[in-house]
Formats: sequence, C-alpha cells, structure tokens
Amino acid sequence: MHIPDGFIAPQMYLPAYGAAIGLWAYGLRRLRTALREETIPRLAVLTAFCFVLMMVMLPLPGGTSAHATGIALLAILFGVWTAFISVSLVLLLQALLFGAGGVTALALNALAMGLVGSAAARYSYLLLRRVHEGFGLVVAGWLSVNAAALLMALALGSQPLLAHAEDGQPLFFPFGLSITLPAVMIPHALVGIGEGVLTLLMFRLLSQRGWVSQP
Amino acid sequence: MRSCLVVALVLCAWLPGPVRAHDLQHSIDEATAVSVRLFFADGRDFGLESYEIYRAGEEMPFQVGRTDVRGRVVFLPDRAGTWRIKLFSQDGHGGDFSFITGARGDVQGGSKSFLERHLRIIAGVSLIFGVFGLISLFARRGGEAGDAHP
Repeated sequence: MHIPDGFIAPQMYLPAYGAAIGLWAYGLRRLRTALREETIPRLAVLTAFCFVLMMVMLPLPGGTSAHATGIALLAILFGVWTAFISVSLVLLLQALLFGAGGVTALALNALAMGLVGSAAARYSYLLLRRVHEGFGLVVAGWLSVNAAALLMALALGSQPLLAHAEDGQPLFFPFGLSITLPAVMIPHALVGIGEGVLTLLMFRLLSQRGWVSQP
Repeated sequence: MRSCLVVALVLCAWLPGPVRAHDLQHSIDEATAVSVRLFFADGRDFGLESYEIYRAGEEMPFQVGRTDVRGRVVFLPDRAGTWRIKLFSQDGHGGDFSFITGARGDVQGGSKSFLERHLRIIAGVSLIFGVFGLISLFARRGGEAGDAHP
C-alpha cells in the first residue's frame, strides 16, 4: 500500500509535507499529554507489531500482493493522534531501511494510512460498537485499509493530470484514475476483510490480557 | 528515347534512398546484457509490469517496456555509469533505484541478501523500542495502569 519514490509529483508531495508537518507537531503534543509511563511499553509493542505486519506480503489473486497493517488496533486502543504518530514512525523506518514507501511520499503515506485510516477505524468502531462490538471491530479494520487505499488510488490516478510533458506523457505515475481505482481498491477490499478479522482477534486477546480498559 | 533513358537513370539514382526509409533491416549480434530481476519480498515475480530505464541525469528514457513474466528487465548499457530504473504496476507497486555498470555490462553492487532483509527488520523493531524508550523519559508518571482505551 505504500507509495514509493518517483510516483508522486512535487505539486502533490510538497503540500502533503506542509500539512503533515503541522499535523505531526500537533500529534506529538497530543501524544505527550495522552500517554502515561505505564502505557508506553504497550504502544511500543503494538507499533513494532504494525511494523512487522506491514513487512509480511500476502499474495492475492491477479498477481498482486498486500499486507495487513494493525492500524485499526492502534487507533482503537490509543486514539487517532497516537496512531498517526506511531504509523508515521513505522513508515519512516520502512522507507529508510527497506525503501518500502518513498521518502518523498512519506507525508502522503502517513496522512493516508496513519491519519485517514486511523480516523476511519476509530470513529466507525465508536459508532458501531453500540450495535455489536465484534462487528464494529471488523468494520473498523476493513475501513482502516480501504479509506487509506482510496486516498492513495486517487493520489496515484491524478498524477498524469498533475504532471505531464508537453506531449502529454506522464512524468510520474503513468496510470489514470480509471486504472488505479479498480487496481488498488479491489485487492484492498479483500485485504480489509483479513484486517478486520485480525483487529477483532487481537482486540479480544488484548482485552483478556487487561490491555483494554472500557470507559 | 534518350530523355526516357535519362529519367530512368535519375530515378534509379534517387529511389534507393526513399525506398530504404521503409525497408526495415536487422542484424543479430552477440552482446553482454544487464539483467535486473524484480520480485516481491515473498519471492513472487514482478512480472509483466511497466519499467523505464534512464541514463544518469537524463530525462528521456533510454529504454521502456514491460518486465518479462519472470519479472526481468534486460538491457544493453551503451556506456559505463549510473543507470536508473523506474517500475510501475497499476495497483501502485513499484520502485525507483539506481545502479552502476561498466561499459561491458558488468554490474557493481548487485543483489541484497535474504539475511540482510531480516537484519533490517530486527533493526527496525529495535529502533521502535528505542524511540519509545526515549519517549518514556518524558512521559507523565502515575495515572491509570491501562491507559489504552477505546
């Protein structure tokens, strides 16, 4: 799901960095007030869990591959801003250590996965848990993947319009929205089901371990 | 009759040029090529996907095409130096990396090992714990033990 270097035009990644820097600063302030010393080891463990999950690629029909993220779990347990900072750290390390997701695309990846994905997961869970907690967790997991994937498909598919040579040749990602939307969304609709089930199972495990305190 | 002969001679002299312009020739030569194989971390081939190869610092691609079914790009460098490959799949996978070849296609700094990838994962996990260890130095003490809550 990570967008690599060379896919996104400066017209998009520079404003994304502008927005992300402000949101990272705000998120760090929120993190500092929200976290307690006792919570940090749990957040560290789940952040490391996200990092490893994102490195495990699952083959999908059609020759593509995808991975779970654990972002919904982070957002549900620790809140959107803490999840945003943690996921941004994971994405930074993946970009620097593996080249998985580019440095130029880091802000866009962080905004899509860390912020939009987290917010979609947390608020859908808070809404749906009144109906059925398990259902809310599965939907949260599915949405965390697919809200981020939709944003990325839109970002990728708009590149030929944003940056092209005089003869119309795309300078960055070459495929338009009519290709990126189905190519990105269909596999992630499947991955989202796995992410939802993973969120449900992990949440229940962590509840049994006393990591979750219901308000 | 004489003028017809002159016209025929002029045509014979002039025609081979334009005719050659439409006559595609070919030659088959032996050469040393550079083969770059693209694959996902689980070993699956990045097959039949788009790529562009650039000479260092140039904007016009040296070669464009699709990887073969085994995820390979094969090209013949025409000079020693740095080469850049950009790869795209329709679902947003791909990459952008450079490598150096000699004039005869010899490659410097080839593949990354399986062990190297695992060492990097361990390094990443260690860094995450290190960062949160640092954050804990500035965290508030006390409060509820299980602050993780929906």
